[in-house]
Parts: sequence; structure tokens; C-alpha cells
Amino acid sequence: MGERHLLTGNHAASYGAKLSRAEVISAYPITPQTTIVELLSEMVASGELDARYITVESEHSAMAAVIGASAAGCRTYTATSGQGLALMHEMLHWAVGARTPVVLTNVTRAMAPGWSIWSEQTDFLSQRDVGWMMLFAETVQEAQDFVVWMYRVAEQVFLPGMVAMDAFILSHTSEPLIVHDQAAVDAYLPPFDPLYTLDPAEPRAYGGLVNRDHYFEIRYKAFEAMERAGRLLVEAGEEFGEALGHRYGPVDPFMMDDAEIVFVSAGAMTSNVRYAVTLLRERGIKAGLLRLVAFRPFPFEEVRRLLEGRKVAVLDRNMSSGHSGIFAEEIRSALSMGAAPTEVYGYVLGIGGRDIRVETVLDVADDLMSRDEPARTLYVGVKGLPIGPARADREIARLAPLEEVSP
Amino acid sequence: MPDLSHVDDYPEIPVSLRSSRGVLRTGDWRNMRPVLAERVSACTHECPASVPIPRYFHHLAAGRLEEAFATFTLRNPFPRITGRVCPRTCEAGCNRVDREGPVSIRDLERYLGEATAGLPHLPSAEATGSKVAVVGSGPAGLSAAYYLRRSGHEVVVFESQPEAGGMLRYGIPEYRLPSAVVDDEIARLQAMGIRFRTGVALGGDLDLGNLEDEYDAVFVATGAWLGRSMGVEGESLMESGLDFLVASHDAGVRPPGRRCAVVGGGNTALDVARTLRRLGAEATVLYRRTPDEMPAIGEEYRAAVEEGVAFEFLTLPRALRKDGADLVVTLETMRLGDPDDSGRRRPEPTGDDREARFDAVYSAIGETASLEPFPDALKGGDGWLAVGPSGETKADRVFVGGDLATGPATVVEAIAWGRRTAEAVNERIGGGYEVPDWVAEQGDGVVGPTDINPATFPDTDPHHAPHLDAAARLAAGMGEEAGTMTDAEALAEIERCYSCGYCNECGTCFVFCPDVAIRWEDGPVFDYTFCKGCDICTTECPGHVILTVKEEEVARG
Amino acid sequence: MRFGIPLEERIEPGNLGCQGCGGALSMRMVLKGLSDDTVAVIPACCWSIIDGPWPVHALQVPVFHTAFETAAIMATGIKAAKLQQGKDTTVMAWAGDGGTFDIGLQALSGAAERNEDIIYVCYDNEAYMNTGIQRSSSTPIGTWTTTTPDERPETRPKKNIMEIMAAHRIPYAATATPAYPDDLLAKVEIARDLRGTRFLHILSACPPGWKMGSGDAIAAMRAAVDSRVFPLYEVRDGLDVTITRWPEHEVDPEAYFAMQGRFRPLLDDPEELARVRRLIDRQWETLVARHREHHPEPAAG
Repeated sequence: MGERHLLTGNHAASYGAKLSRAEVISAYPITPQTTIVELLSEMVASGELDARYITVESEHSAMAAVIGASAAGCRTYTATSGQGLALMHEMLHWAVGARTPVVLTNVTRAMAPGWSIWSEQTDFLSQRDVGWMMLFAETVQEAQDFVVWMYRVAEQVFLPGMVAMDAFILSHTSEPLIVHDQAAVDAYLPPFDPLYTLDPAEPRAYGGLVNRDHYFEIRYKAFEAMERAGRLLVEAGEEFGEALGHRYGPVDPFMMDDAEIVFVSAGAMTSNVRYAVTLLRERGIKAGLLRLVAFRPFPFEEVRRLLEGRKVAVLDRNMSSGHSGIFAEEIRSALSMGAAPTEVYGYVLGIGGRDIRVETVLDVADDLMSRDEPARTLYVGVKGLPIGPARADREIARLAPLEEVSP
Repeated sequence: MPDLSHVDDYPEIPVSLRSSRGVLRTGDWRNMRPVLAERVSACTHECPASVPIPRYFHHLAAGRLEEAFATFTLRNPFPRITGRVCPRTCEAGCNRVDREGPVSIRDLERYLGEATAGLPHLPSAEATGSKVAVVGSGPAGLSAAYYLRRSGHEVVVFESQPEAGGMLRYGIPEYRLPSAVVDDEIARLQAMGIRFRTGVALGGDLDLGNLEDEYDAVFVATGAWLGRSMGVEGESLMESGLDFLVASHDAGVRPPGRRCAVVGGGNTALDVARTLRRLGAEATVLYRRTPDEMPAIGEEYRAAVEEGVAFEFLTLPRALRKDGADLVVTLETMRLGDPDDSGRRRPEPTGDDREARFDAVYSAIGETASLEPFPDALKGGDGWLAVGPSGETKADRVFVGGDLATGPATVVEAIAWGRRTAEAVNERIGGGYEVPDWVAEQGDGVVGPTDINPATFPDTDPHHAPHLDAAARLAAGMGEEAGTMTDAEALAEIERCYSCGYCNECGTCFVFCPDVAIRWEDGPVFDYTFCKGCDICTTECPGHVILTVKEEEVARG
Repeated sequence: MRFGIPLEERIEPGNLGCQGCGGALSMRMVLKGLSDDTVAVIPACCWSIIDGPWPVHALQVPVFHTAFETAAIMATGIKAAKLQQGKDTTVMAWAGDGGTFDIGLQALSGAAERNEDIIYVCYDNEAYMNTGIQRSSSTPIGTWTTTTPDERPETRPKKNIMEIMAAHRIPYAATATPAYPDDLLAKVEIARDLRGTRFLHILSACPPGWKMGSGDAIAAMRAAVDSRVFPLYEVRDGLDVTITRWPEHEVDPEAYFAMQGRFRPLLDDPEELARVRRLIDRQWETLVARHREHHPEPAAG
């Protein structure tokens, strides 16, 4: 079953698209995503992948192109990052309304200004409300497999899906992985059977003017489809295990059975968190880890079941300014509906790609254990400041005059 | 519309479920609507016979020769004749006249005539049992005979000359209207069942009273054949121009000498002069006024000049005398004074005389009718025949028409009169012929130059029938001077017609309708369910056949 | 029928265009020239509305509605899929001037530069009409719109989108207007039979936005051509210019402006009007010169 390769996360994503037999690919270069589509472009050029590759002039167009191709009945793929994903935003909504099961890989990247190419989850998580399915990969294997898994579900519910991976930490880091056998993937992922194909024999209008009497019902269908996607993700994740040897689910618990304090994380930082948990266990601290794999549809049941009654530190490499880290926000909301009282502490860290080391996680553990009351947002690693909330009383300092540069 | 009362009735995506037809009734937006309203074209209005010109053009362009012929002969049975000799008042009225020139209507009429020369006339109505006598077989008599026969009457045409045709045969020179054409047309009338009796003259073998007894109606159209007297010394030395034209139809006729003069400025004078030129003589027209006052058709005058006819204007013969073989004519120079009753400036003597020598001088100063055969009972206070607008006389069943009623006029005026009289006869004695619905449906208004929209028509110079140049005309002798357009020329020329007042299915309204609210069913059909009343079709219709009517007026009926 | 216009319709009666809508007419004519195997892509524009509200629509080809700036690329994506499926369906992007000259220019430029196999039609009514008459970069000098009010009318010339498109060296770019239907249809048919990016720029009157009676829509478009304000021409491969209609009876541009209330500020400003006249003359002379380059023999007309 498959072959073992050593690939970067980006190239693994390329293989995910290739194994899925994407038929139309369109993308725009952006660091750190670029190598995904470079490899796909080579695959198309060499004939290794029977697809059309459209070299567009913007991410907005890349998304539009794959929506159009999907609407016409092809399986489509694109990849982007940070600013590119933000530029796509309008069309992300369009993909949902048009019910086109496009799959996208987003390499998470901090938003400008100032320019940064390093990892941060805010670009990805700010697409929370567009109506896409959203998965977060931790490993190179997942960077590949989640693409296939996503198509499997997306094409059943006719909703698009995006897979995130961290800039550089995963995208440019080589790890061994199994590149699956094509026949096995084909067996798992049948050809795309579209809802419609823009067939001139059936001259219909798609996505035209809908008045207030009808808009809600049609959107409601998409909301229902997302609910169904939650169940299908679980089923398809299990079947992935049966068919291709890796079992996936919407959450990934670690040492949770008797855990008293639990870290919640997503993406590549989870590897360090997992190691920190084992160190804490060695110290006799009953620590556990809940990795969020699916962000949309959100795994309410699993989160509530696994976290209720425990002391939870949510590690957010992102921030919804004026509120909390986005994962913390979501976890609290999941626990607000009938769960036993649970203390949720929001930690924001690693913004702009700053390393989240094992030591960082241990510092958070110490802080967590020192606190008695849940805190909304605690910033970790801001120079000169201890772990703690943002200062609400700080005066804004004006720019000092530009200093003369001596010759 | 689908039932959409439950969310499950909805599709997964906002995909349309049906076409807008029948659902979006955009006709509800409308406060005014287009309607087809055919009216009279300017050319038809200017035609003495009211020939529906755009309508027959349309049939002709579509290759529907029989319909074209039927449409034409509703108003004029003789397109081959008027297609040659008509003075074209229609063309003067053509709304294209100020662009590149009018549509060549007469040439197209001739084209129609030639293209349908082999067709029989329309079948006559069921026999009425009535008998009508037509006296005189010129254009008025033949036209009346045609419409009377078409109305189901038995018709006998009496003619004093050896052959039927009257002025058509004897008055119009051969080079303008060959006798063979007249023969054909008379044969076609005979084929309808019209009988001709020639060599019988009213006042001679025929008596009006007897005819009244024998026939249910009598139409007299014996024309105006009497030359007027000039009252000048030596007038008997002059020859009759009209007699010369009659004689010119016989092969071998020669003028009496080389130097000929023609006195007069009307069509007869020019026909005589042009005929003289064809027969090898010199011709000088002596006319007492100037070209502007000449009653002759302009194109005849221009042709005469081209053919080398000399004109001496403001010149009046005062006396003729013989000097050996020469005719010496005393000519007085005239000048123009104040306008007379006809609106033309009156010639006044100047007292300046001169002499000129000719071999022959022809008088062509106008003709008049002989009233000899008519009883005084038919005459009015002025001693002339009392004539109603359709030829009615003081006698119930006697009608008169043509030049007899009007004085010398055009062929087409005589034809029009003949039809009017036939209709008046029908009113008097019953009978009639089928008239298509459009005649009653057509509005009275005339489509003038400010009504039309010629914007979609390209600039196109007129196409004309072939016409010999002056040298070739003279070389051809009495041979016909004009020809017939080719099919391609005719079609191209018809394309120049704006079709004023008549829907010739040009498609402009259909093409420019933004709302697919005009269905094309061999012509426009307005779909008021969808028509928004934008007014584009009305504005763009070249011939102003589409009018806009307010919905409130439609509602009121 | 005096026009070489097919009777066949690919649009059903019942659409939400205003009375006298030039855009509706342009669509109707263009579809007559295309085949049944056509897909239309419509971004935000009047036609988003004209086609009708769900669940009905007027066009008899599939219509994929898309975001304002994406007409060209959406068509590209659809065409790519059709080609991938082995189909040679014609994909037509159908956008207004806002979606072409302004917000959609980037995607259009991208598609044109790559010579995507699409027909892109801009029906140009010279302002954002669907949102209620705001100026676009297609709005001519001296025009009133709600965002260029009488006190401060449009001050810049209309963007020359044809020169922009020609600069991409696409196989075919042409101007047209439904007031000259045979010219328009001929260009649609040329475009239909070529491959690569084909661009049609169709002046389409908007009676409410141009401030004139709906019945005058055709006359106004015709006058735009005959006054040389909007010449009819085509450009092959970005370089070879052919003027397809030489105005027979030149209409004074002022007469064209006077037909429409939107030009009132221009007509009230003799100096600006003089500048506009010079601009029209210069543009026409430039066009004629380019035509002569391509047609060394003086063309009839």
C-alpha cells in the first residue's frame, strides 16, 4: 500500500491533489505556498497528471477559475496563503453559494503589514464564516491525506473545503510519508459526480437574483449540508483508515483519559505540545492534549465530551482582536451548551511565526497551574511582559523625530 | 410556477427552474402600446390612379408576381402602358426625393408590367346579367371596360377607328408606346370577355339614345381630338400635329420637307417635334412663353433638346403664306406679363416681327372634344357637358370620362377616371368586384417626409431602366427608346423604398425590440403580454406603419 | 426582412430590463450569432437583474452568475473544464463597463494576456447604471452622473478599452452597437469562429441613465457611430485595424450630445465642448491612420 517518500508538506499537498486526480488547477504564486503548485504544474506539464493548469493573475482569479471549472463539472484544486487567502475571501463565499466542492490548501501565514511570511493561523481562521469545511494538518502525511479526505466529503455535500498547514514548520519541512497507491485512492474517492455541469442542453441560470421570499431556504440547504458533513467527515476519516491505513477524525486526543489539565492546539505546533505533555506526565502532572483537526464543521460533541470539567489551556497562534484567540472562543462556545463547568484559559502565542517551543508550552503549563480563574486572553512571550492579559490603560506613544544619520 | 411552500421544494442551489416566459408579464409595465396602422404612402397619394405602390413592390420583391399584378390592377389594369408613359407624379411625392432621388417607380411599374405580361387578368365576378356599352377605347374606356367586366357585367367597347386603343394607339408616338403593347393589352381584355366593335362612331353608326335603350349603362370616353384654331392668317397652310402623330404609326410616313416647325408647348407639340427628328427632319418648336410655362412634361422637353429639337420661345406665329415651295411664317416676339388664370405669366405682344421659312408647320396648341353627338339635355349652362366627379351626367345611365370630360390629360388620369366611373356604374346598376380587406383597413392619413425614419437605409443611388442616348434614339427611328430593368436592378431599386405607410415585413421593429416582444410570423406580431411599450419599434419603423397608442385609449376602445 | 439577422432567439420574452434597454438588445443580438452550445457568464451588472429573479430566467443558454470582477476568469475556468471534458462549448463572459473597464480589468487583462479561449463582451452603457448611474472609467467627459453632478461633471475622457485590449495582441477585438445590427452580427460570427480571447465592445444605450426617451435608444446609438464618437472597427491580432463603418452622413457630435440629458453640463460649457470635439477628431484621425496602415488602398467610404 503506497510508497514511502521524504517530502515537504507542500509537496505532500501536491501529491494529495494528484492522487485525487484534480482536473483543473489554478493558482497564483505566494510564499510559502508556491512549491505546491510548482510541483503540480510540473506534473501537468509532464502528463503525469491529466489536468489543466491555469496560471492566473491573482488569488481572487484562482478561486474564481476553480469555481467555474467545478461548476462545469470538474474536480478542482488550488492553494494559497495569507494575503492570497484574504484576497480570495469574496470568492470563498461564492464557492459555497454555488455549491462547488473546490478543495484548497492554505499555508498559514501572518498578515501584512508588516510583511511576514511566517506562520500564523489568523489568515485561515478568519475565513471561519464563509461556509467552507476547514481542516488543520499537523504532519506531512496529513498535508497529503487531508486533501483526499476533504474531496471525499466535499463531493458528497457539495461544499468546498480547505486544508491548512503551518508555513515552513510544515510546508517546507521534509518528513517521511506514505504516498498512497493510486488505485487504492481511486477506490476510496470515486470520480466527481456533479450536481450540475452548465450543460447547454439545459439552459438554466445559476446563482441569479433571489429575492427575500426564497434566499433563506436555499441558504438553509447549505447549512444543512454542513451539518451532514460533520457526520460524513467522521465516517470518511474512518474509512480512510480502512482503505489507506491512516485513520482520521475531527479531533485527535492524546493522554486525555485522566487528564486534569488539557492543552488544545491545532497544526504543527501540536508536536511540541504533545512532547511537553509527556514531560509533564513524567513530572506527575496529569496533562492531556486535544488537537483540533476539524474547525468547520466544528466538533461540538467531541470537544464537550473530552473537555468538560477539566482545566483547559487553548493555545492560539492567532487572535481575534478585541475578543480572544479564535480557538479559545470556539471552545468556550462549545462548552456553553449543557457541559459541566469547565475552566478555559486562552493563551495567544507564536504570532508572526515566533517559535512555539516545548519550553514555551511548559511555561504555559506553569502559568495555567498558577491560576484559579479562567482568563480570556493571556499573551505569551511578548518582550518585557509576563504571561498575562493585554494592558487596557497604555497610552499610545507618538513617533519620535527621525534621528539624523551621521555620515 | 413550482410550489415552494416547503424548504424541500427548493433546489440545493439557486438554479432557475423555468424560463421567464409566461411568468414575467412585463406587459403590465406598459402605458402605451405599438399598433400596426397602415396608411397611404406619399407616392400612392400623388398617383392619380392611387396605385398601392409599396404594397406591390413588396410582392414583387418576394417573387410573388401574381399578387403584385393583382395588387396593381386593383387600381390600374395597364402597368405595361403607364410603366412607359406615366408622368411620374408618384416620384415627385416619393419621400426619398430629397436624398439621392426618388425610387424609380415608373421603371419598376414597367418591370412589373413586363414580368406579368403573360398573366391573364383576374377572373371576373359572377355574371350580373347587366350590359354596359363603352364608347371610345382610349385609356379611360379600356380602364372602365376592365373594371366593369371584372364586376361581372357584359361589356362592349365601341371604337370609331379601325383598331382599338384610341390615344394609346394613335396619339402616343411609337417610340414611347409601341402599338404591339397596346395590341397585347387589348387581347388580354378580350380574353376577359370584353367585346370590341371598331369602325363605329358616335354620331355616325352609333346613337346615344339607342345605346341607352340597349344597355343598362353607357360610358362615353371619346377623347379630345379636335385641333384648336389659332385664328391667324393662312392657318389652313398649317398641318394638324395630332394627325401627323396618328399617321406616324404607319411605316413609310415621311415629313413633307426638311425644315419643320411645331407651334405649341404641350406634350403633343413635343411628340410631334421628336417624331419629326426621328423621321429625319429638322424641328423647331415655336412657343409663345418660356420653358418655365411649358405644359409639356419636363423630361419630354429635356429629351427634345437632346435630340436636337430647336426651340424659339416668346414667339408667336402671326401669319403664314406660301412663297414657292416655302412656307413663310411671320413671327412676333412676345414678352411675359402678369400671370393669367392658370398662374402662368401671360404672353404679351411686343410688335417686333420677323419672318422664317419652313417646309411644313404643325399646329399643336391643344385639343378639344367634339360635343356634336351629345344632346343638349346633357349639357350645362356653359354649353359644355355637365359631368359629376365619377362621370355622372344628367342622364341616369349615361356616364362620360377621360379627355372628353377633362380636356387633354394624362393616360393615368384617364385610367383613374375609368375606374371611378366603373364603380359609379356599379352603384347605379349593381355588381362589383372583390376588394381585399386592406383597402377598408387602411387609414386615410398620408405618410409624409417628417413621419418616416430612413436611418436604417444606406445611401443608394437610384437604378433606372435602360434608356437610349439621344444619338441612338434618333438612329432607332420610331423604335422604342426605353427598356426594362433587369431583375437585379428591380430588386435593388425596391430595396430603396421606405415602404411608407405599408408594412413590407422589413423586420426593423423585430430586429430592434429589446424584449423579444415582437414575434415574427411573416410579419410583426406584437406580444402585449411582454411588450413594455418602449416605443423603439414606433420610432424605428422606416415607413411609420407602427403607431403608439395610449393604453387608456385602448381600454376606452 | 432587410437585415441579415437570424429569426432564432436564445432569449425568452419577459426580462427585467428597463424600457428601451440597449443591454437587453445587445444580448439578444449577440446570442443570435452564437450557437446553442454556449455558456454565458454574467458578473454583477444590469444583466444580473435583467435575466430575471429566481426561479425563472430569460436566457436560453446556461448562465453562471459571478462576482463583479470575475467575468473573464470565471469564463476561463468554465472553458478549462469543458476542454478537460473534451467539449468545445463557447464560453461568453458578458459584463458591463464597470465590470470591464474598472473592477474586472485585472482578470480580463489576465485572461487576454494568456489568450484564454473565451468571448468577452462588454455591453457599455457608460456608467454604473444598475446601482443608479454612478460614473465609471467609461463615462465620457462632461457627463452628469450621480457621482459627477452638474457642479462637477466628469472631467476625464472615456477610457479606451479597445486600445488596452489590442495591446494584449488578442486575435480579435471589435466595437459594435445594436443600432447597426448587421455589423454587430458579422463581428459576433467572426468572434464565434475564431479561437483565443475575443473581445466585443458594444455600446448599449441606457435610456434612464442617458436621460432620454426609451424610443430614442437606437437613434442615440446610431448617432454615436455617425458622429464618430463611437467608431465601429475591429482589430485583429492587436495591430490590424479595420474601420467597418464609415459614417455616410456625419452627425455633429453636438447633435448626439443634445439627444441626451446626461450631456447637459457639456453642452453648457463651450470650452469643454470644443475640447471634446478636438478629442473626437483626433481619435478618429488616429483610427483612420491605423486603418490606412493595414489597408494601403484607400477604402471606399
